[in-house]
Amino acid sequence: MKDMRRCKAKKMVAILMVATLTMASLAGCSSNKKEITSNQTQETTSTDTKAGETADTSTEVRAVMSNEEIVKLAASEGKVGNWGLGNEYEIQALLTKYGQPITYLSQAFDMDGFDDDSITLASAMTYNELGLVKNSYDGAYNYSDTVGTIDMNDEGVAMLEDNIFCTRAFAEQNPNTVKAFIYASMKGWKYACENPEEAAEIVYKYGSSVSAEHQLYMASEVKKLVETDINGNTVTELGKMDEAAMSQTLELAKKYIALDDKAAADKLSKLTLDDVRDTSYWEGATASTDGKFGTPEKASVTIQLKWLPQAQFMGYYVALEKGYYDEVGLEVNVVSGGGDISETTAVSNGTVDFGVTWLANLIAANSGGMDLLEISQVYQRSGLVLVYKLDTFMK
Amino acid sequence: MIKRKKNIFIRFFRNPKVQPFLSVILPVALGVLVFALWQTQILHKILGTDTFTLPLPSQINRIIGDNLPKIMLNVKATVLVAVIGLAIGSFIGYLIAVLATVFPRWGAGGLSIVAAFNAIPIVALAPVMTNWTKDVSSDASVRSMVAKVLVVMIVSIATMSVNAYRGLNNLPEFSLDLMKSYAAKKRVVFFKLRLPNSVPYIFTALRVGVPSSVISAIVSEYFAEYITGVGRQIRENIVIAQYATAWTYIAVACLIGISMYCILMMFEGILLRNRK
Amino acid sequence: MSKAKKIVSSKPFIMLVWVLVLVAIWEMGAANMEKTKRTPENVLPHVSQIVASVFSDKMVSNSQTATQIVWSSAEATLERAFIGFLFGTIFGFLMALLMKLSGLVEKTIFPYLMLIQMIPIIGMAPIILAITHDIGTSRIVIAAILTFYPVATNTLAGLNSVSKEKYELMYSYAASKWTIYRKVLIPSCIPYFFTGLKISAPMAITASILVDTLQGDGGLGCMLSQSLKHAMSIYVFWQIVFFSAFVGILSSVLMGVIEKRVSPHMRADRKRRKKV
Repeated sequence: MKDMRRCKAKKMVAILMVATLTMASLAGCSSNKKEITSNQTQETTSTDTKAGETADTSTEVRAVMSNEEIVKLAASEGKVGNWGLGNEYEIQALLTKYGQPITYLSQAFDMDGFDDDSITLASAMTYNELGLVKNSYDGAYNYSDTVGTIDMNDEGVAMLEDNIFCTRAFAEQNPNTVKAFIYASMKGWKYACENPEEAAEIVYKYGSSVSAEHQLYMASEVKKLVETDINGNTVTELGKMDEAAMSQTLELAKKYIALDDKAAADKLSKLTLDDVRDTSYWEGATASTDGKFGTPEKASVTIQLKWLPQAQFMGYYVALEKGYYDEVGLEVNVVSGGGDISETTAVSNGTVDFGVTWLANLIAANSGGMDLLEISQVYQRSGLVLVYKLDTFMK
Repeated sequence: MIKRKKNIFIRFFRNPKVQPFLSVILPVALGVLVFALWQTQILHKILGTDTFTLPLPSQINRIIGDNLPKIMLNVKATVLVAVIGLAIGSFIGYLIAVLATVFPRWGAGGLSIVAAFNAIPIVALAPVMTNWTKDVSSDASVRSMVAKVLVVMIVSIATMSVNAYRGLNNLPEFSLDLMKSYAAKKRVVFFKLRLPNSVPYIFTALRVGVPSSVISAIVSEYFAEYITGVGRQIRENIVIAQYATAWTYIAVACLIGISMYCILMMFEGILLRNRK
Repeated sequence: MSKAKKIVSSKPFIMLVWVLVLVAIWEMGAANMEKTKRTPENVLPHVSQIVASVFSDKMVSNSQTATQIVWSSAEATLERAFIGFLFGTIFGFLMALLMKLSGLVEKTIFPYLMLIQMIPIIGMAPIILAITHDIGTSRIVIAAILTFYPVATNTLAGLNSVSKEKYELMYSYAASKWTIYRKVLIPSCIPYFFTGLKISAPMAITASILVDTLQGDGGLGCMLSQSLKHAMSIYVFWQIVFFSAFVGILSSVLMGVIEKRVSPHMRADRKRRKKV
């Protein structure tokens, strides 16, 4: 025992060395990398800020490239970003339009990749990521007007996004419930678009968002998507399913949804609009002036959103808050999305009754074997843009 | 004395000649049975699911046949990440266990810290690693690879270090006393007693480590910048509701796991036989 | 031994030093990030910033501070983790006993136990959801599936580690199979069983966080992914990462404490030491 104690003194010295060694073996590689790379990034950021300053003073003198040039340059560098997972079709259509291969980088759900220039042409929703890039509130990147955007609607590759859907079987068995739900939801959307500030507050109360300011920004942007169609015309009948825009979406979907399963791919190529939407429920709902559709077959329903609770879905939260669902005899439970069980799966297996998804995702799901039915198209134009830093794409 | 003990241990572990024969036939028989139930949709009735959520084996088989080159490309990416991560992670893990044995007081504390890495969810680890490795290379495929390997590595370190530490310290009864009575030096105790004693524990760790390295590789692919790998395909297809294709990749993921496990078992057989 | 030495070589002190070393490395990285990134808190914030966010009473959502969010969602997650862990442990232990009882069972199902680990949760989830029809139950089932494997493999290794002499001794006593299990096998597998528990306890927490992300209705995993997706203050993410690591260590330590209390092997050791 005494020997061991004597040894300990020696050991204590050795311990320190070993500690450093172990840590080096653990963290050494990564910290080395950090050191090397920090130098690089330091350089780039310093040039960035310089470029930013000059851009501020001389934007009028130096011209930004055309959209085509921007897309070509970014694609050739392999720095076009999208989240994938069914959100990429519009970007692929745009890349094809300019003769580029349809590969893209997987973009995280933050804009760090755009910020550090690993993605120079990044996907953004006008109401969400674009706001985070431009604005200066908590969690945002404060680029204000030093960024430009490429709008999918202007490029003619727009696909319709947020809708309301359920299974065909559910709609057939519960027509009153479906009409009542559409009626109350549209009432909520109408109120939300007329009072975006109030809607933002309501959503902020229900959700757990970064900031009230971001919700307000989002509400004002979402209002534009709900009230304007892909050609820029004003829409008065909220939630209507515009034939031309839906056909365009279906056509693009058929081109860019790549399915490995031959059976599903065959089914996709044969899909028609009648396989994915039914306008009768929305028409029935809007025809009503008092919201009386007879007793709902199912009074307690749930709707799963496509994403986290935010002003993107303000119509439903407003309808909930203002009691519009109660008025039509429905008890509605809003389930937020963004989880691994996607809204199409949840609706298809009956976990929830209604869902909000992008039309393209619904088309893909039906090709895969689901029988889902769009009953209303809430967003009338695409909210997807590609955002870039102006000074990266100067002539 | 020590050598004889080891022999008994090994002899116990791998019994007579029939055993290897049985250990092939039995699982295969069960597998065939499950496949039969699955293909005839009896399994679907038992589980209360449908052929859409759980596609038939024949359908999966057809999709594999149709997309073999693409699948192999994804398999390569995933296997590379899993194997490299597991190898580096296990090596570091064992090294930590050795250090913890040589310096028991300080090492044990460090070991608990390392084991704590196991408690960090991969879903949190993967995006962090992606962020940290942003500047490793301007090539997205390279830096994604590094990020994924790091995730697998960290997960493997924890498993290996805990098990190896046990193997290095959980010595046969009285063997340490015996070594002391020989006045054996620490170094001798280490190489003649601790090191050989830890070998079966290494394999225990790897048995856990192989499946978890594949899973970690798959989960880290969800968050990687560069789009490739079996995991990414699973996620893409589940999200766009292509269950047949998703299950194809799930089946492929299982195959990767099984093959890696079989290779591990082969190694174990060879290594432990040499010890006789 | 002097007092200072005692403190220096005490376990808490050693742990503290290790933690400080880690913090120092972290801080170095954070300082680097601060210089180079526009939003360093997304990549690597200072420890002080994270600590400050824990104590700050700034509302990050309508009604809760970051810490309140973490606490309130931790409740649901840890409850699920505990239930899943409990079921996983029981199932794992029984599985190991069953496999020990019959070599045929071991050979037949052991490869498949591993196979189940290989199926990514994201693929398993829809099927389990279809069986249970309830997302909460599905989460517990998945957490249990993810945790039982280390328990099963480790316990089995323990059962297999019993030396032949012990068997021979028991046979010479004409002990029944039941007695052999009670007196020899189960006591000797306890340390291995606890190794399994020490691995699977943090895994249960990890798994529980992972399955939170299946659907967006509360829990640490949900908040973690929302925070990662920048729908919430990023500090919620960092807090959860540290919280889960901390709870993970705690759960592992807790298993160690329980081991010391219940393990006959340790009790025997203590007795022997007293005699000597």
